[in-house]
Amino acid sequence: MAKDTNTCAVFLDGKHIADVKDGTAFAEEIRKNRRKGLISGEVNVAYIKKLGEVHINADKGRVRKPYVVVENGKSKLDQELMERISKKEIDFNYLVRRGVIEYLDVEEEENILAAMYESEITPKTTHMEVHPAIMFGLTVNSGVFPEFNSVGKHPLAWQLMKQAQGLPSMNFQNRFSARSYLLHYPQRPLIDSETYRAANLSMHANGQNFIVAVSTYLGYNMSDAVVVNKAALERGLGRSTFFKTYSDEERRYPGGQQDRFVVPTPTVEGYEGEQAYTKLGDDGIVEEEMEVNEGDVIIGKISPPRFLEEQTAFGAGIDRSRDNSTKLKAGESGVVDNVMVTETSGATKIVKVVVRSNMVPELGDKVGSRHAQKGVIGAIVPQEDMPFTKDGIVPDLLLSPMGLPNRMTFGHILEMLGAKAAVVKGEIQDGTPFARRGNALIEEYGNILEKAGFDRNGNDYLYDGKTGKKFAASIFMGPVYYYRLYQMTKLKLQVRSRGPVQILTRQPTEGKPRSGGIRLEEMARDALVGHGASLVLKDRMLEQSDKDNVWICRECGDMGYFDHIKNMPVCQMCGPGSKLESVEISYAFKVLLDELKSMHMLTKIRLKND
Amino acid sequence: MSEKKGEISYGEPVGVVTAQSIGERSTQMVLRTFHSAGITSQVVSAGLPRLIEILDARKKPKHPTMTITFDKGVASDYESVKEIKKKIEEVRVGSLVGSFEENLKAGTMVLNMDREAMTEHSMTVKKIMDIISARFPDVELSNEGEKISVRYKKKKDIKSVRTAFVNIRGEIVSGVEGIEKAVVNSEGNAFYISTSGSNLSGVLEVDGVKEENVYTNDVFGIFNVLGVEAARTAILNEMMQVFAIEDTKINVKHAMLIADAMTHGGTVKSIGRHGLAGDKESVFARAAYEETIKHFVNAAFFSETDRLRGVAENIIIGRQISVGTGRVKLMIKNKDLEKVKPAD
Repeated sequence: MAKDTNTCAVFLDGKHIADVKDGTAFAEEIRKNRRKGLISGEVNVAYIKKLGEVHINADKGRVRKPYVVVENGKSKLDQELMERISKKEIDFNYLVRRGVIEYLDVEEEENILAAMYESEITPKTTHMEVHPAIMFGLTVNSGVFPEFNSVGKHPLAWQLMKQAQGLPSMNFQNRFSARSYLLHYPQRPLIDSETYRAANLSMHANGQNFIVAVSTYLGYNMSDAVVVNKAALERGLGRSTFFKTYSDEERRYPGGQQDRFVVPTPTVEGYEGEQAYTKLGDDGIVEEEMEVNEGDVIIGKISPPRFLEEQTAFGAGIDRSRDNSTKLKAGESGVVDNVMVTETSGATKIVKVVVRSNMVPELGDKVGSRHAQKGVIGAIVPQEDMPFTKDGIVPDLLLSPMGLPNRMTFGHILEMLGAKAAVVKGEIQDGTPFARRGNALIEEYGNILEKAGFDRNGNDYLYDGKTGKKFAASIFMGPVYYYRLYQMTKLKLQVRSRGPVQILTRQPTEGKPRSGGIRLEEMARDALVGHGASLVLKDRMLEQSDKDNVWICRECGDMGYFDHIKNMPVCQMCGPGSKLESVEISYAFKVLLDELKSMHMLTKIRLKND
Repeated sequence: MSEKKGEISYGEPVGVVTAQSIGERSTQMVLRTFHSAGITSQVVSAGLPRLIEILDARKKPKHPTMTITFDKGVASDYESVKEIKKKIEEVRVGSLVGSFEENLKAGTMVLNMDREAMTEHSMTVKKIMDIISARFPDVELSNEGEKISVRYKKKKDIKSVRTAFVNIRGEIVSGVEGIEKAVVNSEGNAFYISTSGSNLSGVLEVDGVKEENVYTNDVFGIFNVLGVEAARTAILNEMMQVFAIEDTKINVKHAMLIADAMTHGGTVKSIGRHGLAGDKESVFARAAYEETIKHFVNAAFFSETDRLRGVAENIIIGRQISVGTGRVKLMIKNKDLEKVKPAD
């Protein structure tokens, strides 16, 4: 609309506020004042040529990116400023305040001509990138060589970073986190990036440098599995501690009653025998450094009776409390690390018990590198059976070559080469994104390796640990920074042969915390029907589930019961003398019939004559 | 020997195997459906939607089509095939009209006929007028060259005049009702007609069309004209066709089982709540599937008996199912058992 006339509409946060003659000059004026500090640095202005409009944005929620301002073909970030930065006299915010660096939003970015490097600045250039790696965020930038990996791998890579066990806090001994993981020997990576160093992430390192050989091993590392050296694990590779906090509270109930932390006495309802409470101290809480296993009581607690009548019948003096202790869940074990007793704001006592358990890497535990190369441990092989080099180097981990080509994680390969050079040279190498070109890196690392007597491509000749014979092909080998991820077999393993059942249906419970079974679901059931395996199906659906015997009256077809005093089955409808048969049915079906009955639908079961 | 190999065992749950076979194929179809590029007027619904259409026994398919082939002598003659095509393709008055003016208040309408369209369908003004006057006795017709004036004899309200005029323009002048479009295609040097829209009984009445050369994908149309046996074959063929288009196949016995199950009652019944599954004998089996409460209440109301002969109900109560290994039983009467003496 404004295109036809000679005026240019100005919009502030989408609202038309004024018309100006020259939009470009107007926008430029605002920018000039912003760099002087007269207008807030949060304000962005864009002249949109196509519409002939000026958009001024000062609202919240815009994504903005910092740029170095270039004026008259010269970067405002000059030599003098750079020197002052390296002397730590000034910081980034100083540059922002002085208009050397400014943040631009998407609309204003349309008005600029940005150079990637200082050498690319032309008279027309208005801005310069702070660093090419700024296109990535903190997470991706803290990894190495992300520019050599497929874009789709970056989110997967930081997904793994989140799951890595490391050193989350220095005061872990005093913390009461619900669950936390602590890697025993965290290492700083042999290759890191500028961002990694700047954020001082090595203070909270979350991985270890594994010596990795890209090789198969009798099929134990196919389909993303990895083979791990047993001796390396025994030396402490990937070892970690898992902390879990159990907590309980002395609750108050209406009527002035409350829970109490004590060692339950035999008069308490639900008392589990003296044996169960041996690990408790006098205060009813486990002692520190006590070894505990599944089912052990760690916090002894008694609660007042659930129903009030019991209380009044015997008077207040008699203890009819019930046991309400906290036990270690099925499959858990460890050592009591820390105990805390404190009060809530409601002045009730609460207890927190931290149980620590040692997690040695085992079959099925998950590991991953910084390049979204994750896998589970498929075999733990004694060191003497692992392949070795002529120098006697035995890899910690064997990675299958099949995981590399189609995932296109070239950064992983480059990290192996670079880290190997870092080891040989004794210097930590730099893997900052876009810092150098790929072939320059390969050249540089190759030279370092060659100088030390290694193959410049990072390949080594390995010998079979079992036969001692040299493998015909050379194998790519080098260190990789690996994470131990928190998905661990010990925390997930679940089996059941017998166990708790649901109250209503008497069918087995579901889920790990209730030590439940695995359901034979509908399509699996259809598969059994399709095979005609009728007895397998009956075994799953009845015998291993909710089998029950009910008495069916031959005359009326209704369910009766067994009278243990008269020692005979009774039908309530037909009275004494009626003939009843014991019939095997699913308890859930009995419940169904009972529920139908509750809705005035009587089902009669007619039994076949034999 | 090969005959023996194809034989299934006693008690084999063929229905379940059929369901699994078709189910496996159709999950593949959801993931990857072929889209045929080509003439847009000739849309054939294929893949999973078509399969569902067949199994649900829909009264009208989404894209009904017919294929009419010819005997050797006629098939190679393009002109005579085209002549038959003209007889089949539905032509309405509206499609022969170039432009029209209507005055609803006066109850008059002038149709300016399109000469080209008329000659293509070999129509004359006279013929059209005859057809209209036969169907609409209330109107007076007169013509002036290609212009046909329509006028109501008696005065009528605007609304009914308007509906009548729309009906006049929608009146079929030639062809078979329901055949929206017909195209002459060729395969080798044999010409055939394929149509969009289906009307089996109408097409069969057209001269030059032989019964054995007509095919339609409208299962219900076949059922209405040719009966349930033909409908069974149609279901069979159409199902196999769906998988053939996807470049896979299922064993024909599976399709046969489904076609038989759908038609064994003498009508075409759908698979599902309103058809086969809803007609199950067992109360428990029906209640376990859908509309649980309705089935239990009705069963109580009519005092139904469940004889526990199917699979679902036996799983519910926890009995061995009478399928596969559970099919066979060894039986002996109690009093006969007494006669049997253990071998010493």
